[in-house]
Amino acid sequence: MTAISKQLMTFRVNGETRQVAASPTHTLLEVLREELDLTGTKHGCELGHCGACTVLLDGKPVLSCLALAIEAQDREITTVEGLARDDNTLHPLQQAFAERGAAQCGYCTPGFLVSGVALLAQNTNPTRDEIKAALAGNLCRCTGYTKIIEAVELAATRLRKEHEMTAST
Amino acid sequence: MADLIGASLPRPDALGKVTGAARYPADLIQAEMLHLHVVFAQRVHARIVSLDTSAALRYPGVVAVLTAVDVPYNAYGLIEDDQPVLCHEEVRFEGDKVALVVAETPDAAAEGARLVAVEYEDLAAITDPKAALAPDAPLAHSRLKSNVLLHVPIRKGDTAAAFAEAGVVIEDEFSTSWQEHAFLQPEAGIAYVDEQDRVVIETAGQWLHEDRRQIASILQLPEEHVIVRYAAIGGAFGGREDLSLQHLLALAAWKLRRPVALAWNREESMIAHHKRHPVTIRCKWGATRDGKITAVEATVIADGGAYASTSVEVTKVATLFASGCYEVPNISVDGYAVYTNNIPCGAFRGFGAPQAQFAAEIMVTRLAQALGMDPIEFRKRNIYREGSLEPTQQPLPDGVSALPVLERCIEEASKHINVTRAETQTMPHLRRGIGIACGIKNVGYSFGYPEQATATVELNGKAELERAVVRLGAADVGQGTHLAMRQIAAEALGLALEQVSLIAESSAEAPNAGSASASRMTLMGGRAVYDAAIEARARWSANEDYYAEATVQYRPPQTTALDAATGAGLPNYCYGYAAQAIEVEVDTRTGQVQVLKVVSAHDVGRAINRQQVEGQIEGCLAQALGYALLENFQVRDGHVLTPHLSTYLLPTVLDMPPEIVPVILELADPNGPYGARGVAEMALVPFAAAVACAIHDATGVWLKQLPMTPERVLVAIHQAATPSSAAQSSKEQQ
Repeated sequence: MTAISKQLMTFRVNGETRQVAASPTHTLLEVLREELDLTGTKHGCELGHCGACTVLLDGKPVLSCLALAIEAQDREITTVEGLARDDNTLHPLQQAFAERGAAQCGYCTPGFLVSGVALLAQNTNPTRDEIKAALAGNLCRCTGYTKIIEAVELAATRLRKEHEMTAST
Repeated sequence: MADLIGASLPRPDALGKVTGAARYPADLIQAEMLHLHVVFAQRVHARIVSLDTSAALRYPGVVAVLTAVDVPYNAYGLIEDDQPVLCHEEVRFEGDKVALVVAETPDAAAEGARLVAVEYEDLAAITDPKAALAPDAPLAHSRLKSNVLLHVPIRKGDTAAAFAEAGVVIEDEFSTSWQEHAFLQPEAGIAYVDEQDRVVIETAGQWLHEDRRQIASILQLPEEHVIVRYAAIGGAFGGREDLSLQHLLALAAWKLRRPVALAWNREESMIAHHKRHPVTIRCKWGATRDGKITAVEATVIADGGAYASTSVEVTKVATLFASGCYEVPNISVDGYAVYTNNIPCGAFRGFGAPQAQFAAEIMVTRLAQALGMDPIEFRKRNIYREGSLEPTQQPLPDGVSALPVLERCIEEASKHINVTRAETQTMPHLRRGIGIACGIKNVGYSFGYPEQATATVELNGKAELERAVVRLGAADVGQGTHLAMRQIAAEALGLALEQVSLIAESSAEAPNAGSASASRMTLMGGRAVYDAAIEARARWSANEDYYAEATVQYRPPQTTALDAATGAGLPNYCYGYAAQAIEVEVDTRTGQVQVLKVVSAHDVGRAINRQQVEGQIEGCLAQALGYALLENFQVRDGHVLTPHLSTYLLPTVLDMPPEIVPVILELADPNGPYGARGVAEMALVPFAAAVACAIHDATGVWLKQLPMTPERVLVAIHQAATPSSAAQSSKEQQ
């Protein structure tokens, strides 16, 4: 196999514009981890089976191991490193995961957070079934999912309260 | 600060895990390192005729190709050194390693690996463990005289006489399959030689000092010249007990004197690391008319695969638990661990106990039914009590809580499940049933294996204690042990959690705590930390210095090897006890089994951190559900057919029961810190049998083979419905 030459690509990642030289054959996961040094996004199976590599592309959860980086140019990419709020506080879902023991080994956590944040952006009052549907593409081998579901519910409650307060001021 | 024990404190490491800042082994890899790629045998059993690396070495970017001749001592293993680092002359399973390509980029290493030309001559392979026992069977290892790695007999009383007098005797055969750990983080790591000429390996594992021992042995270096450091560990479950790639990293770094990196993909992880043992159990149980179990005979055959790993210990555990958690006066069990050319098997959460008790718990329920007794009452009549004699003829270690755990399980279950009658089914083809099962599993090492944990506590303070540093080489594989150890130290010293720090990640900076396995770290590591804290505090109080330290090695009560003829001995110093009540719904049209409710009761001695204890129970239940129903690791003629997560299915959030009730009893263990004993493995022990009992309750058929896939359930239902069902019923479903 002859090496395919790298080319310059421009990405909008976590609100910043980043330009890197990357191979057009490389996946978004590889470029995030190896060229952009965003190692929070995890490699679990490289075949789209486990969800550990989930990122948001224009707000929608995408498996970065199955997406070519070159196709993610000029789109808004959000990784786990970009979930914290503008004031550098944790997203309520990150906070809830930490409080409720939803991260054990933590390797699947970035993918779950990204999937969960996408759900909560659409729906701050999800039912259990809606939560399960949103997380069905993410595998966790440690928690049995109970505390992950509870964390999403806790974050949803807090987000609703935030919205009520914003609405009342 | 006397309220730290039992508190559901959130984990300090969670912050890094929710922000993406936590560094796992693959996150340490830098482009400028040398990259490794393993050449796997992909042959089940073959002789290496020739191995030509010249084409690989010519490939641009390839720096070296390491083979058997480059390995100073080419044999390793947790218990027995029977596994080559890189194979010389013979390969014995498809995941055997024959060469290690080192290159400037991962792509070049992969291309180089493809260019390593190995000529093989296939040898007769043995992949059926029962057939492997035959005297004329092909040998899995050409150099061995037999495929039998272990035969362990347990003899107690007189089974023949007991069966002759029994009111009911039932005989049957059960089989279980491989299980893959499927930790989300595939094996990865880096290694380099530091300025003091020590080889440093940064990776994931379950026991720093054992990894170091094996790597030092392979490289023929003093142990102090090898440093093993653990990055954040992405799950383990026993699957990181054996070396996988840690020693390959060390070898390449040592040989080439440059930083090296290796990250496996999922397929490499699946075919290369060990699995849970498939076990067949042929057994015969007898009981008197008034409901006493009087005799158990069993033959337990475990497929150890190509290398020894921990097969000997796993098989002894399965043999010990062939009669479950019941006091049986007459026992005759033979356990065999067998070499085959299948993937090696070793440690996996439960370590032989789930296999044995899948059979035992089903047999207990069937005995009760044959006697017309309630299976719960029948269990209560026979279950271990304080002072009960084990199959090994000695009383159980103090703190036998099997009966209170069962009673509490039933009490809690009655709030959630109608334990005597399943809820009315909604549709005629959907049938609901309830199953109850109990479980026992040792905490810590067994059968005389050296058991210890060593901790150092360093204290600083003038008028009062100000801060403590705890050193304990304990792997936090995700279970939260690092927080638990700080909670124990802080409580013992009367400090706030923030005043106690823990150094645990490096074999050079923390003493040997033993492995994060066998549900042992809270008891063993925690007790060492507790004792060291008390000793350090006494020293600090006794002098005028602002500093004091103590190192304490904790050793639990001594266990013994089993007598070679009878199995008599003291196998364990502590047990965990579990009981579960499970409700399922069986779709009789598809064979699909949905677990609706689980009540899982556990005596944890003392919950050091309640949130983490619940997390262990809930997480273990997910693995148990996968083991019972879903996870079908398929191997044909030694070849793994399911090396991906698309063919080897793990439970998703949609597979989990809507109602899970962990029930925590705190009946203090005499040795554990604050009474704590282990819990991590326990939920896996009774689960599959409880599901089988629930399926039987729903449909009237017994499943005897794991996993209980829809096909197997359907076949069993159809067989029961056909006229020849009686003849079929005790045969194996395929």
